[in-house]
Amino acid sequence: MKKGQKHQYGEKNFSLWLVWAAAMHVVVFSLAFYFQIWDADRHSKPKIVTVTLVSLPGSGASRDDSNYGTAAEAISEPPREASPSPLPVSTKSVKVSVPVPEKALVVPKKLSVEPLKPKAIEKQPDINQALLQLKKNVDKKTAQLPRPSSNTLNNALARLQQNVKLRAGVKGSGEGGSSTGRNGAGKGSGGGGTADSYKAQIASIIQQNWSFSNKLLKKSYGMEVYVRINISSDGTIHQILFDKKAPSEYLNLSVKKALEKSSPLPVLPKEGGSGDVWVGFLFTPEGIE
Amino acid sequence: MLDLRLGIFAMLSDAGVVVLLVLSLLLLFSIISWAIIAFKFGYLRKSLRESKAFLDYFFEVNNVDKVFTESENFRYGSLPRVFRSAYIEYRALGDKGDLRHARTRIARAVKREVNAENKRLAALVPFLATVGNTAPFIGLFGTVWGIMNSFHTIGLTQSASLAAVAPGISEALIATAAGLAAAIPAVIAYNSFTQKISVIERDMEEFAPEFVAAFINEP
Repeated sequence: MKKGQKHQYGEKNFSLWLVWAAAMHVVVFSLAFYFQIWDADRHSKPKIVTVTLVSLPGSGASRDDSNYGTAAEAISEPPREASPSPLPVSTKSVKVSVPVPEKALVVPKKLSVEPLKPKAIEKQPDINQALLQLKKNVDKKTAQLPRPSSNTLNNALARLQQNVKLRAGVKGSGEGGSSTGRNGAGKGSGGGGTADSYKAQIASIIQQNWSFSNKLLKKSYGMEVYVRINISSDGTIHQILFDKKAPSEYLNLSVKKALEKSSPLPVLPKEGGSGDVWVGFLFTPEGIE
Repeated sequence: MLDLRLGIFAMLSDAGVVVLLVLSLLLLFSIISWAIIAFKFGYLRKSLRESKAFLDYFFEVNNVDKVFTESENFRYGSLPRVFRSAYIEYRALGDKGDLRHARTRIARAVKREVNAENKRLAALVPFLATVGNTAPFIGLFGTVWGIMNSFHTIGLTQSASLAAVAPGISEALIATAAGLAAAIPAVIAYNSFTQKISVIERDMEEFAPEFVAAFINEP
Protein backbone atom coordinates (compact mmCIF):
# COMPACT_ATOMS: atom_id res chain seq x y z
CA MET A 1 0.00 0.00 0.00
CA LYS A 2 2.74 2.38 1.06
CA LYS A 3 4.88 1.36 -1.93
CA GLY A 4 1.93 1.87 -4.24
CA GLN A 5 1.45 5.37 -2.86
CA LYS A 6 5.13 6.13 -3.33
CA HIS A 7 5.00 4.83 -6.89
CA GLN A 8 1.94 6.96 -7.60
CA TYR A 9 3.68 10.00 -6.14
CA GLY A 10 6.73 9.36 -8.33
CA GLU A 11 4.53 9.05 -11.44
CA LYS A 12 2.70 12.25 -10.59
CA ASN A 13 6.01 13.99 -10.07
CA PHE A 14 7.27 12.77 -13.44
CA SER A 15 4.04 13.86 -15.15
CA LEU A 16 4.62 17.34 -13.81
CA TRP A 17 8.13 17.34 -15.27
CA LEU A 18 6.70 16.10 -18.56
CA VAL A 19 4.32 19.05 -18.68
CA TRP A 20 7.20 21.35 -17.78
CA ALA A 21 9.33 19.94 -20.62
CA ALA A 22 6.50 20.37 -23.14
CA ALA A 23 5.97 23.95 -21.97
CA MET A 24 9.70 24.65 -22.28
CA HIS A 25 9.70 23.35 -25.85
CA VAL A 26 6.75 25.58 -26.70
CA VAL A 27 8.55 28.56 -25.18
CA VAL A 28 11.78 27.80 -27.05
CA PHE A 29 9.96 27.42 -30.37
CA SER A 30 7.98 30.60 -29.79
CA LEU A 31 11.17 32.48 -29.01
CA ALA A 32 12.84 31.12 -32.13
CA PHE A 33 9.80 32.07 -34.20
CA TYR A 34 9.67 35.64 -32.90
CA PHE A 35 13.43 35.98 -33.15
CA GLN A 36 13.26 35.09 -36.84
CA ILE A 37 10.52 37.65 -37.45
CA TRP A 38 12.47 40.27 -35.53
CA ASP A 39 15.69 39.40 -37.34
CA ALA A 40 13.99 39.50 -40.73
CA ASP A 41 12.50 42.93 -39.92
CA ARG A 42 15.90 44.18 -38.84
CA HIS A 43 17.63 43.11 -42.03
CA SER A 44 14.97 43.74 -44.63
CA LYS A 45 14.46 47.48 -44.20
CA PRO A 46 15.30 48.89 -47.63
CA LYS A 47 17.28 52.04 -47.96
CA ILE A 48 15.17 54.90 -49.22
CA VAL A 49 16.81 56.69 -52.10
CA THR A 50 15.04 59.56 -53.77
CA VAL A 51 15.71 59.64 -57.48
CA THR A 52 14.28 62.36 -59.63
CA LEU A 53 13.15 61.05 -62.96
CA VAL A 54 12.76 63.32 -65.92
CA SER A 55 10.12 62.73 -68.52
CA LEU A 56 10.76 64.02 -71.95
CA PRO A 57 8.08 66.33 -73.31
CA GLY A 58 6.48 64.15 -75.91
CA SER A 59 3.00 63.55 -77.16
CA GLY A 60 0.68 62.64 -74.35
CA ALA A 61 3.18 63.39 -71.59
CA SER A 62 2.22 66.05 -69.13
CA ARG A 63 4.81 68.47 -67.84
CA ASP A 64 5.81 68.78 -64.26
CA ASP A 65 7.48 72.12 -63.70
CA SER A 66 9.73 71.23 -60.82
CA ASN A 67 11.18 68.17 -62.49
CA TYR A 68 11.37 69.95 -65.76
CA GLY A 69 13.66 72.50 -64.16
CA THR A 70 15.93 69.77 -62.95
CA ALA A 71 16.18 68.38 -66.45
CA ALA A 72 17.04 71.73 -67.86
CA GLU A 73 19.86 72.10 -65.37
CA ALA A 74 21.16 68.69 -66.16
CA ILE A 75 21.57 69.40 -69.85
CA SER A 76 23.11 72.79 -69.59
CA GLU A 77 26.23 71.85 -71.51
CA PRO A 78 27.06 73.64 -74.73
CA PRO A 79 25.02 72.25 -77.62
CA ARG A 80 26.58 69.52 -79.69
CA GLU A 81 25.55 68.27 -83.08
CA ALA A 82 22.45 66.09 -83.01
CA SER A 83 23.96 63.28 -80.99
CA PRO A 84 21.17 61.75 -78.93
CA SER A 85 23.35 61.23 -75.91
CA PRO A 86 21.53 59.88 -72.89
CA LEU A 87 20.46 62.44 -70.36
CA PRO A 88 21.99 62.28 -66.95
CA VAL A 89 19.69 60.98 -64.23
CA SER A 90 16.94 60.09 -66.55
CA THR A 91 15.28 56.90 -67.51
CA LYS A 92 14.03 56.73 -71.00
CA SER A 93 10.39 55.97 -71.16
CA VAL A 94 9.01 56.22 -74.60
CA LYS A 95 5.73 55.00 -75.92
CA VAL A 96 4.65 51.42 -75.63
CA SER A 97 2.55 50.01 -78.33
CA VAL A 98 0.77 47.08 -76.74
CA PRO A 99 -1.08 47.05 -73.40
CA VAL A 100 1.51 45.25 -71.33
CA PRO A 101 2.26 45.77 -67.64
CA GLU A 102 3.92 49.00 -66.61
CA LYS A 103 7.37 47.55 -66.44
CA ALA A 104 7.21 46.15 -69.92
CA LEU A 105 8.35 49.05 -71.99
CA VAL A 106 9.46 49.28 -75.60
CA VAL A 107 12.57 51.37 -75.38
CA PRO A 108 14.62 52.32 -78.36
CA LYS A 109 18.27 51.76 -77.76
CA LYS A 110 21.51 52.00 -79.63
CA LEU A 111 22.43 49.02 -81.72
CA SER A 112 24.83 46.97 -79.69
CA VAL A 113 27.44 45.17 -81.71
CA GLU A 114 29.02 42.69 -79.32
CA PRO A 115 26.81 39.86 -78.14
CA LEU A 116 25.00 37.79 -80.63
CA LYS A 117 24.04 35.19 -78.09
CA PRO A 118 21.15 36.00 -75.74
CA LYS A 119 22.47 37.00 -72.41
CA ALA A 120 20.56 37.22 -69.19
CA ILE A 121 21.49 40.15 -67.02
CA GLU A 122 20.05 40.29 -63.58
CA LYS A 123 19.14 43.53 -61.88
CA GLN A 124 21.74 44.80 -59.50
CA PRO A 125 20.38 45.09 -55.98
CA ASP A 126 22.20 48.35 -55.42
CA ILE A 127 20.93 50.08 -58.52
CA ASN A 128 19.43 52.82 -56.39
CA GLN A 129 22.81 53.52 -54.88
CA ALA A 130 24.38 53.68 -58.31
CA LEU A 131 21.74 56.15 -59.44
CA LEU A 132 22.34 58.28 -56.40
CA GLN A 133 26.07 58.22 -57.06
CA LEU A 134 25.46 59.21 -60.66
CA LYS A 135 23.27 62.07 -59.59
CA LYS A 136 25.95 63.31 -57.20
CA ASN A 137 28.54 63.25 -59.98
CA VAL A 138 26.28 65.20 -62.27
CA ASP A 139 25.55 67.74 -59.55
CA LYS A 140 29.28 68.18 -59.00
CA LYS A 141 29.94 68.73 -62.68
CA THR A 142 27.03 71.12 -62.95
CA ALA A 143 28.30 73.11 -59.99
CA GLN A 144 31.69 73.50 -61.67
CA LEU A 145 30.23 74.86 -64.88
CA PRO A 146 29.08 78.51 -65.18
CA ARG A 147 25.38 79.05 -64.56
CA PRO A 148 23.52 78.84 -67.82
CA SER A 149 21.55 81.77 -69.02
CA SER A 150 17.88 81.44 -69.80
CA ASN A 151 18.68 81.53 -73.51
CA THR A 152 20.95 78.52 -73.22
CA LEU A 153 18.26 76.64 -71.36
CA ASN A 154 15.68 77.49 -73.96
CA ASN A 155 18.03 76.35 -76.69
CA ALA A 156 18.65 73.07 -74.94
CA LEU A 157 14.93 72.56 -74.47
CA ALA A 158 14.24 73.28 -78.11
CA ARG A 159 16.94 70.82 -79.10
CA LEU A 160 15.47 68.14 -76.90
CA GLN A 161 12.01 68.63 -78.30
CA GLN A 162 13.44 68.38 -81.80
CA ASN A 163 15.15 65.11 -80.94
CA VAL A 164 11.99 63.67 -79.53
CA LYS A 165 10.00 64.66 -82.59
CA LEU A 166 12.62 63.09 -84.82
CA ARG A 167 12.44 59.83 -82.90
CA ALA A 168 8.67 59.81 -82.95
CA GLY A 169 8.81 60.29 -86.68
CA VAL A 170 11.13 57.35 -87.09
CA LYS A 171 8.92 55.06 -85.03
CA GLY A 172 5.97 55.47 -87.35
CA SER A 173 2.37 54.82 -86.74
CA GLY A 174 2.74 51.62 -84.79
CA GLU A 175 4.51 53.23 -81.89
CA GLY A 176 1.52 54.56 -80.02
CA GLY A 177 1.17 53.81 -76.37
CA SER A 178 1.79 55.32 -73.05
CA SER A 179 4.85 56.75 -71.45
CA THR A 180 5.14 56.40 -67.76
CA GLY A 181 7.56 57.71 -65.21
CA ARG A 182 7.63 57.46 -61.49
CA ASN A 183 7.91 61.14 -60.87
CA GLY A 184 6.63 63.83 -63.10
CA ALA A 185 5.58 61.34 -65.69
CA GLY A 186 2.74 61.66 -68.09
CA LYS A 187 0.51 59.23 -69.81
CA GLY A 188 -0.59 59.29 -73.37
CA SER A 189 -2.54 57.02 -75.56
CA GLY A 190 -2.21 55.91 -79.12
CA GLY A 191 -3.49 53.23 -81.32
CA GLY A 192 -1.57 50.07 -82.02
CA GLY A 193 -0.27 49.19 -85.42
CA THR A 194 2.13 46.68 -86.86
CA ALA A 195 3.98 46.56 -83.57
CA ASP A 196 0.87 45.07 -81.95
CA SER A 197 0.69 42.22 -84.37
CA TYR A 198 4.45 41.71 -84.11
CA LYS A 199 4.24 41.48 -80.32
CA ALA A 200 1.36 39.07 -80.52
CA GLN A 201 3.35 36.98 -82.97
CA ILE A 202 6.46 36.77 -80.79
CA ALA A 203 4.32 36.15 -77.70
CA SER A 204 2.78 33.13 -79.36
CA ILE A 205 6.23 31.85 -80.40
CA ILE A 206 7.53 32.21 -76.87
CA GLN A 207 4.40 30.57 -75.51
CA GLN A 208 5.00 27.59 -77.81
CA ASN A 209 8.60 27.26 -76.64
CA TRP A 210 7.68 27.62 -72.99
CA SER A 211 7.57 24.25 -71.27
CA PHE A 212 6.15 24.73 -67.82
CA SER A 213 3.91 22.68 -65.57
CA ASN A 214 1.73 24.32 -62.95
CA LYS A 215 1.75 21.16 -60.85
CA LEU A 216 5.41 21.50 -59.98
CA LEU A 217 4.81 24.75 -58.12
CA LYS A 218 4.31 24.34 -54.41
CA LYS A 219 2.73 27.76 -54.04
CA SER A 220 0.89 29.99 -56.46
CA TYR A 221 1.28 33.25 -54.55
CA GLY A 222 3.44 35.90 -56.24
CA MET A 223 4.29 33.73 -59.24
CA GLU A 224 4.92 36.51 -61.72
CA VAL A 225 7.97 37.13 -63.86
CA TYR A 226 8.39 40.52 -65.45
CA VAL A 227 10.93 40.23 -68.19
CA ARG A 228 12.20 42.55 -70.91
CA ILE A 229 13.97 41.41 -74.05
CA ASN A 230 16.08 43.40 -76.40
CA ILE A 231 15.37 42.42 -79.98
CA SER A 232 17.68 43.50 -82.76
CA SER A 233 16.39 44.31 -86.21
CA ASP A 234 17.14 40.79 -87.46
CA GLY A 235 15.02 39.31 -84.69
CA THR A 236 17.85 38.07 -82.46
CA ILE A 237 17.31 38.45 -78.75
CA HIS A 238 20.31 40.36 -77.44
CA GLN A 239 19.46 40.71 -73.83
CA ILE A 240 17.02 39.25 -71.36
CA LEU A 241 16.35 41.45 -68.36
CA PHE A 242 14.37 40.21 -65.39
CA ASP A 243 12.55 43.18 -63.89
CA LYS A 244 10.91 40.99 -61.31
CA LYS A 245 11.59 37.35 -60.58
CA ALA A 246 9.14 34.85 -59.15
CA PRO A 247 9.88 33.07 -55.84
CA SER A 248 10.07 29.82 -57.79
CA GLU A 249 13.38 29.29 -59.50
CA TYR A 250 11.72 26.72 -61.71
CA LEU A 251 9.39 29.35 -63.20
CA ASN A 252 12.28 31.81 -63.69
CA LEU A 253 14.43 29.22 -65.42
CA SER A 254 11.60 28.01 -67.61
CA VAL A 255 11.02 31.60 -68.78
CA LYS A 256 14.69 32.10 -69.51
CA LYS A 257 14.87 28.83 -71.41
CA ALA A 258 11.76 29.69 -73.42
CA LEU A 259 13.22 33.04 -74.43
CA GLU A 260 16.56 31.54 -75.35
CA LYS A 261 14.83 28.87 -77.33
CA SER A 262 12.70 31.42 -79.18
CA SER A 263 15.71 33.36 -80.46
CA PRO A 264 15.91 34.33 -83.29
CA LEU A 265 12.43 35.82 -83.47
CA PRO A 266 10.87 37.03 -86.71
CA VAL A 267 12.55 40.05 -88.25
CA LEU A 268 11.33 43.37 -86.86
CA PRO A 269 8.73 45.15 -89.00
CA LYS A 270 10.28 47.86 -91.11
CA GLU A 271 7.87 50.47 -89.77
CA GLY A 272 9.51 50.02 -86.40
CA GLY A 273 12.82 51.50 -87.57
CA SER A 274 16.19 49.88 -87.95
CA GLY A 275 17.32 49.96 -84.28
CA ASP A 276 16.80 47.49 -81.45
CA VAL A 277 13.57 47.40 -79.53
CA TRP A 278 12.76 46.41 -75.99
CA VAL A 279 9.67 44.34 -75.48
CA GLY A 280 8.28 43.44 -72.08
CA PHE A 281 6.29 40.39 -71.04
CA LEU A 282 4.59 39.21 -67.92
CA PHE A 283 4.86 35.47 -67.36
CA THR A 284 2.41 33.89 -64.93
CA PRO A 285 1.58 30.19 -64.45
CA GLU A 286 -1.56 30.92 -66.47
CA GLY A 287 0.37 32.16 -69.49
CA ILE A 288 2.07 35.15 -71.08
CA GLU A 289 0.56 38.60 -70.93
CA MET B 1 4.96 37.92 -47.65
CA LEU B 2 4.83 36.23 -44.28
CA ASP B 3 6.20 32.90 -45.48
CA LEU B 4 9.30 34.55 -46.93
CA ARG B 5 10.29 35.86 -43.53
CA LEU B 6 9.98 32.82 -41.33
CA GLY B 7 13.07 30.85 -42.38
CA ILE B 8 13.06 27.42 -40.79
CA PHE B 9 9.34 27.49 -40.11
CA ALA B 10 8.62 28.33 -43.74
CA MET B 11 10.81 25.40 -44.76
CA LEU B 12 8.87 23.13 -42.40
CA SER B 13 5.61 24.16 -44.03
CA ASP B 14 7.03 22.92 -47.36
CA ALA B 15 8.37 19.65 -45.93
CA GLY B 16 6.88 16.30 -46.89
CA VAL B 17 4.81 13.98 -44.71
CA VAL B 18 7.67 11.64 -43.84
CA VAL B 19 9.96 14.48 -42.80
CA LEU B 20 7.18 15.96 -40.68
CA LEU B 21 6.56 12.58 -39.03
CA VAL B 22 10.26 12.21 -38.28
CA LEU B 23 10.36 15.70 -36.81
CA SER B 24 7.28 15.00 -34.68
CA LEU B 25 8.85 11.82 -33.34
CA LEU B 26 12.06 13.65 -32.52
CA LEU B 27 10.10 16.39 -30.80
CA LEU B 28 8.35 13.78 -28.66
CA PHE B 29 11.72 12.18 -27.84
CA SER B 30 13.12 15.53 -26.90
CA ILE B 31 10.20 16.38 -24.60
CA ILE B 32 10.37 13.05 -22.81
CA SER B 33 14.17 13.26 -22.55
CA TRP B 34 14.05 16.68 -20.98
CA ALA B 35 11.35 15.57 -18.54
CA ILE B 36 13.53 12.61 -17.49
CA ILE B 37 16.58 14.85 -17.26
CA ALA B 38 14.80 17.32 -14.98
CA PHE B 39 13.19 14.59 -12.87
CA LYS B 40 16.33 12.50 -12.43
CA PHE B 41 18.60 15.43 -11.90
CA GLY B 42 16.60 16.53 -8.85
CA TYR B 43 16.12 12.99 -7.57
CA LEU B 44 19.79 11.96 -7.77
CA ARG B 45 21.04 15.22 -6.32
CA LYS B 46 18.74 14.83 -3.30
CA SER B 47 19.68 11.17 -2.92
CA LEU B 48 23.40 11.92 -2.91
CA ARG B 49 23.05 14.84 -0.52
CA GLU B 50 20.82 12.96 1.94
CA SER B 51 22.96 9.82 1.85
CA LYS B 52 26.02 11.85 2.75
CA ALA B 53 24.23 13.64 5.59
CA PHE B 54 22.82 10.34 6.88
CA LEU B 55 26.24 8.66 6.88
CA ASP B 56 27.67 11.54 8.90
CA TYR B 57 24.92 11.12 11.44
CA PHE B 58 25.22 7.32 11.47
CA PHE B 59 28.92 7.39 12.41
CA GLU B 60 28.30 10.16 14.91
CA VAL B 61 25.57 8.38 16.91
CA ASN B 62 25.87 4.76 18.11
CA ASN B 63 22.23 4.20 18.97
CA VAL B 64 20.31 2.56 16.10
CA ASP B 65 16.96 3.79 17.43
CA LYS B 66 18.14 7.37 17.24
CA VAL B 67 19.59 6.82 13.81
CA PHE B 68 16.29 5.35 12.67
CA THR B 69 14.37 8.33 14.03
CA GLU B 70 16.74 10.69 12.27
CA SER B 71 16.55 8.66 9.03
CA GLU B 72 12.87 9.56 8.75
CA ASN B 73 14.00 13.06 7.81
CA PHE B 74 15.85 11.72 4.75
CA ARG B 75 13.02 10.69 2.47
CA TYR B 76 14.93 10.54 -0.80
CA GLY B 77 18.32 9.19 0.31
CA SER B 78 19.21 5.64 -0.74
CA LEU B 79 21.34 4.79 2.30
CA PRO B 80 18.68 5.90 4.82
CA ARG B 81 16.17 3.69 2.97
CA VAL B 82 18.45 0.69 3.21
CA PHE B 83 19.04 1.38 6.87
CA ARG B 84 15.30 1.67 7.55
CA SER B 85 14.58 -1.67 5.92
CA ALA B 86 17.36 -3.28 8.01
CA TYR B 87 15.98 -1.70 11.17
CA ILE B 88 12.44 -2.90 10.44
CA GLU B 89 13.78 -6.43 9.91
CA TYR B 90 15.79 -6.19 13.10
CA ARG B 91 12.74 -5.12 15.10
CA ALA B 92 10.69 -7.91 13.53
CA LEU B 93 13.11 -10.54 14.81
CA GLY B 94 11.50 -12.41 17.68
CA ASP B 95 14.53 -14.18 19.10
CA LYS B 96 17.53 -11.87 19.11
CA GLY B 97 19.72 -14.46 20.84
CA ASP B 98 20.43 -16.40 17.66
CA LEU B 99 22.99 -14.04 16.15
CA ARG B 100 23.67 -16.08 13.06
CA HIS B 101 20.02 -16.26 12.18
CA ALA B 102 19.54 -12.55 12.92
CA ARG B 103 22.56 -11.59 10.77
CA THR B 104 21.28 -13.66 7.86
CA ARG B 105 17.82 -12.14 7.96
CA ILE B 106 19.07 -8.57 8.31
CA ALA B 107 21.62 -9.09 5.51
CA ARG B 108 18.88 -10.47 3.28
CA ALA B 109 16.63 -7.50 3.99
CA VAL B 110 19.50 -5.11 3.22
CA LYS B 111 20.26 -6.92 -0.02
CA ARG B 112 16.63 -6.75 -1.09
CA GLU B 113 16.41 -3.04 -0.40
CA VAL B 114 19.71 -2.37 -2.20
CA ASN B 115 18.33 -4.11 -5.28
CA ALA B 116 15.10 -2.17 -5.11
CA GLU B 117 17.03 1.05 -4.70
CA ASN B 118 19.24 0.24 -7.70
CA LYS B 119 16.16 -0.30 -9.82
CA ARG B 120 14.60 2.93 -8.60
CA LEU B 121 17.76 4.91 -9.33
CA ALA B 122 18.19 3.49 -12.82
CA ALA B 123 14.53 3.82 -13.83
CA LEU B 124 13.94 5.92 -17.00
CA VAL B 125 17.67 6.45 -17.52
CA PRO B 126 17.94 3.83 -20.31
CA PHE B 127 15.46 5.89 -22.33
CA LEU B 128 18.08 8.64 -22.47
CA ALA B 129 20.56 6.15 -23.89
CA THR B 130 17.98 5.06 -26.46
CA VAL B 131 17.33 8.65 -27.54
CA GLY B 132 21.06 9.39 -27.63
CA ASN B 133 21.69 6.42 -29.87
CA THR B 134 18.68 6.48 -32.17
CA ALA B 135 17.72 10.15 -32.58
CA PRO B 136 20.59 11.01 -34.97
CA PHE B 137 19.70 8.01 -37.12
CA ILE B 138 16.01 8.93 -37.16
CA GLY B 139 17.00 12.46 -38.17
CA LEU B 140 19.29 11.07 -40.83
CA PHE B 141 16.44 8.98 -42.16
CA GLY B 142 14.32 12.13 -42.51
CA THR B 143 17.17 13.88 -44.29
CA VAL B 144 17.76 11.04 -46.71
CA TRP B 145 14.07 10.89 -47.49
CA GLY B 146 13.91 14.67 -47.99
CA ILE B 147 16.95 14.72 -50.26
CA MET B 148 15.51 11.82 -52.23
CA ASN B 149 12.32 13.82 -52.87
CA SER B 150 14.36 16.91 -53.60
CA PHE B 151 16.36 15.15 -56.30
CA HIS B 152 13.17 13.76 -57.74
CA THR B 153 11.76 17.30 -58.06
CA ILE B 154 15.02 18.50 -59.57
CA GLY B 155 14.71 15.78 -62.16
CA LEU B 156 11.19 16.92 -63.00
CA THR B 157 12.15 20.59 -63.29
CA GLN B 158 15.22 19.65 -65.37
CA SER B 159 17.33 22.21 -63.60
CA ALA B 160 20.42 21.52 -61.50
CA SER B 161 21.22 25.09 -60.52
CA LEU B 162 22.13 25.78 -56.92
CA ALA B 163 18.99 27.85 -56.47
CA ALA B 164 16.88 24.86 -57.45
CA VAL B 165 18.83 22.27 -55.43
CA ALA B 166 19.60 24.16 -52.22
CA PRO B 167 16.11 24.76 -50.75
CA GLY B 168 15.17 21.07 -50.85
CA ILE B 169 18.43 19.98 -49.26
CA SER B 170 18.32 22.60 -46.52
CA GLU B 171 14.73 21.58 -45.81
CA ALA B 172 15.83 17.96 -45.49
CA LEU B 173 18.78 18.79 -43.26
CA ILE B 174 16.44 20.16 -40.59
CA ALA B 175 15.67 16.54 -39.67
CA THR B 176 19.35 15.80 -38.95
CA ALA B 177 19.66 18.98 -36.93
CA ALA B 178 16.56 18.03 -34.92
CA GLY B 179 17.95 14.53 -34.32
CA LEU B 180 21.21 15.93 -33.00
CA ALA B 181 19.37 18.50 -30.88
CA ALA B 182 17.42 15.68 -29.23
CA ALA B 183 20.40 13.34 -28.88
CA ILE B 184 23.11 15.62 -27.50
CA PRO B 185 21.40 16.59 -24.18
CA ALA B 186 20.23 12.99 -23.75
CA VAL B 187 23.77 11.60 -24.09
CA ILE B 188 25.26 14.21 -21.76
CA ALA B 189 22.58 13.56 -19.14
CA TYR B 190 22.91 9.79 -19.49
CA ASN B 191 26.65 9.90 -18.82
CA SER B 192 26.21 12.21 -15.86
CA PHE B 193 23.40 10.13 -14.33
CA THR B 194 25.13 6.78 -14.74
CA GLN B 195 28.18 8.21 -12.99
CA LYS B 196 26.07 9.48 -10.07
CA ILE B 197 24.12 6.22 -9.85
CA SER B 198 27.32 4.19 -9.75
CA VAL B 199 28.57 6.35 -6.85
CA ILE B 200 25.37 5.69 -4.89
CA GLU B 201 25.46 1.97 -5.69
CA ARG B 202 29.06 1.74 -4.50
CA ASP B 203 28.12 3.50 -1.27
CA MET B 204 25.28 1.04 -0.68
CA GLU B 205 27.53 -1.94 -1.37
CA GLU B 206 30.17 -0.63 1.01
CA PHE B 207 27.94 0.40 3.89
CA ALA B 208 25.45 -2.47 3.86
CA PRO B 209 27.76 -4.70 6.03
CA GLU B 210 28.28 -1.75 8.36
CA PHE B 211 24.55 -1.48 8.92
CA VAL B 212 24.23 -5.20 9.61
CA ALA B 213 27.12 -5.05 12.06
CA ALA B 214 25.55 -2.07 13.82
CA PHE B 215 22.39 -4.08 14.53
CA ILE B 216 24.22 -7.23 15.59
CA ASN B 217 26.48 -5.30 17.95
CA GLU B 218 23.55 -3.41 19.43
CA PRO B 219 23.61 -3.90 23.21
